[in-house]
Amino acid sequence: MASRGGGRGRGRGQLTFNMEAVGIGKGDALPPPTLQPSPLFPPLEFRPVPLPSGEEGEYVLALKQELRGAMRQLPYFIRPAVPKRDWRRLPRELKIRVRKLQKERTTILIPKRPPKNTEDKEETIQKLETLEKKEEEVTSEEDEEKEEEEEKEEEEEEEYDEEHEEETDYIMSYFDNGEDFGGDSDDNMDEAIY
Amino acid sequence: MTQAEIKLCSLLLQEHFGEIVEKIGVHLIRTGSQPLRAIAHDTGTSLDQVKKALCVLIQHNLVIYQVHKRGVVEYEAQCSRVLRMLRYPRYIYTAKTLYSDTGELIVEELLLNGKMTMSAVVKKVADRLTETMEDGKTMDYAEVSNTFVRLADTHFVQRCPWVPATENSDPGPPPPAPILVISEKDMYLVPKLSLIGKGKRRRSSDEDAAGEPKAKRPKHSTDNKEPIPDDGIYWQANLDRFHQHFRDQAIVSAVANRMDQTSSEIVRTMLRMSEITTPSTAPFTQPLSSNEIFRSLPVGYNISKQVLDQYLTLLADDPLEFVGKSGDSGGGMYVINLHKALGSLATATLESVVQERFGSRCARIFRLVLQKKHLEQKQVEDFAMIPAKEAKDMLYKMLSGNFISLQEIPKTPDHAPSRTFYLYTVNILSAARMLLHRCYKSIANLIERRQFETKENKRLLEKSQRVEAIIASMQATGAEEAQLQEIEEMITAPERQQLETLKRNVNKLDASEIQVDETIFLLESYIESTMKRQ
Repeated sequence: MASRGGGRGRGRGQLTFNMEAVGIGKGDALPPPTLQPSPLFPPLEFRPVPLPSGEEGEYVLALKQELRGAMRQLPYFIRPAVPKRDWRRLPRELKIRVRKLQKERTTILIPKRPPKNTEDKEETIQKLETLEKKEEEVTSEEDEEKEEEEEKEEEEEEEYDEEHEEETDYIMSYFDNGEDFGGDSDDNMDEAIY
Repeated sequence: MTQAEIKLCSLLLQEHFGEIVEKIGVHLIRTGSQPLRAIAHDTGTSLDQVKKALCVLIQHNLVIYQVHKRGVVEYEAQCSRVLRMLRYPRYIYTAKTLYSDTGELIVEELLLNGKMTMSAVVKKVADRLTETMEDGKTMDYAEVSNTFVRLADTHFVQRCPWVPATENSDPGPPPPAPILVISEKDMYLVPKLSLIGKGKRRRSSDEDAAGEPKAKRPKHSTDNKEPIPDDGIYWQANLDRFHQHFRDQAIVSAVANRMDQTSSEIVRTMLRMSEITTPSTAPFTQPLSSNEIFRSLPVGYNISKQVLDQYLTLLADDPLEFVGKSGDSGGGMYVINLHKALGSLATATLESVVQERFGSRCARIFRLVLQKKHLEQKQVEDFAMIPAKEAKDMLYKMLSGNFISLQEIPKTPDHAPSRTFYLYTVNILSAARMLLHRCYKSIANLIERRQFETKENKRLLEKSQRVEAIIASMQATGAEEAQLQEIEEMITAPERQQLETLKRNVNKLDASEIQVDETIFLLESYIESTMKRQ
């Protein structure tokens, strides 16, 4: 085979196969050499085909988004544990209720609570209160993450307000019906949750 | 497991189960089978968290366990099962089309919870359906049970492996992990339950369904008091059966596109007849005689026997070879070539991708090489009737994209390059694998982008949620128009615009994910079918 490098070095510029066989003739202009990796967003030569729309597409889309939201609410979604608080700096009375606080309390940000509280005053049957707690727990779980970021002083105040509004002698955790038992992702849980 | 698959698994696990489960799951996918302590040590998470995460993963059939020698239990993750999570909406929608809302909710509950007992499913679905019904109406458990039984009969739900009920003759310590067994014939056996009752609403202010005393209401569920009749018998969704259904759907619609409605109905009938008799991985269905097909055609279709025979002959002669003739008895024995059909579908996908990515002339060259199997450079230019320079350019573009490959055929034993043929060819299996890998990367990109968009606008989203909640509560307590108007104005017009754009983008990204998943299904089915044949 004729040496192509022009004498600079014996193997230099030689390829292991005959270029003509794959269609690059001698003297043809080769594409410019690639000096950098291809760009991250290469320009699109052809526009993509539009997505299928229609009833089925919309329904499946809505299903997908619903499922995503629903899975976050299920007990299988394990949230990272709350960081350990330094109990020396905080009033002792906060210690017991911190667990319940995060699960049950709704914040003032959701003003659903004030209307519900007025309803509670009217109806003093315990069953209805606990059922409303169930509903609030559902909405409050959405705000769990927001709550964990909030300062404790706010939560303290709300708690006191609630108790005075309810006019009962029992703390809120008395009415806990264990519904959120599976949802606890708190620290120091020794048993596995199924 | 390729990097792309691992990345996609990580995104899916994180979105659906949170970061802790994601960390454990990805670690298991990467490193294979591991015992509990090793997982905790390698990932640096506390033992509790690892236990919780593993329970969740096992519950959802994403991780299996095995007892090894010396009583060590090892856990193994199933990467392909994690990727199925993309397809959940499609499974649920299919159940809806086949068994209406009841079926839809049953499958949804089973998918969301991994495994459930039949009584739990029936109760939950009845409650959910009752919520959506008008006041005063409730959903009966019996109706939901019937749908469940039908789902089990058609194999869409199946029993999970169960703990064998053995009488322990040796009083040794119980094994560290139960060995679960499953037998083929019991897999779809529905336990005899007499579930009586109706669905309950969450608001108690109206009826007292099923006449339970009020004192029991605040408790979590009355089932805790009574023994559950089917304790230990858990059910899961049978994803393979759904995949079989999708495959049948794809074949039928391909025939409908290529020929006409009647032929697709014939093919659908043939597939339906072979549903139970043919295993899903067989290369072709059991032979069906033309007489049988004629008898099983749907009632509304009155085509004569002769017309049916003509259609069958046409189908069998079609170059795509979806239907093949395997004999002449009984008026002609016909089979559906499942493997060939999947191959055709995969090839069509490849052709479509080449066309959309490189243009229609490239697609012409691609189809040409597919058809002729091996072509030299010169022959490509001649057959495709495209000038040499452009043909070269296109061939190299496709070559570097790995759609086309070069095959060397030496003329002499020393493989000298000047005396070797270089032929262009399409290796469908490897091109399909390449495309599948690309699909995984695409979906990972789509999910990341969607999460990024949502995070960018997090503040705005939260604000709009708050405003909605305020409006809802004010409407509930009967506020006036002016007040509602005021609250609505809390979100300014440009912010509203931003929210609209966000919603549109997220919808588009979600729809794209669903679309790519359909391609993944076709390619994976083809690859699986090919691997089984080897």
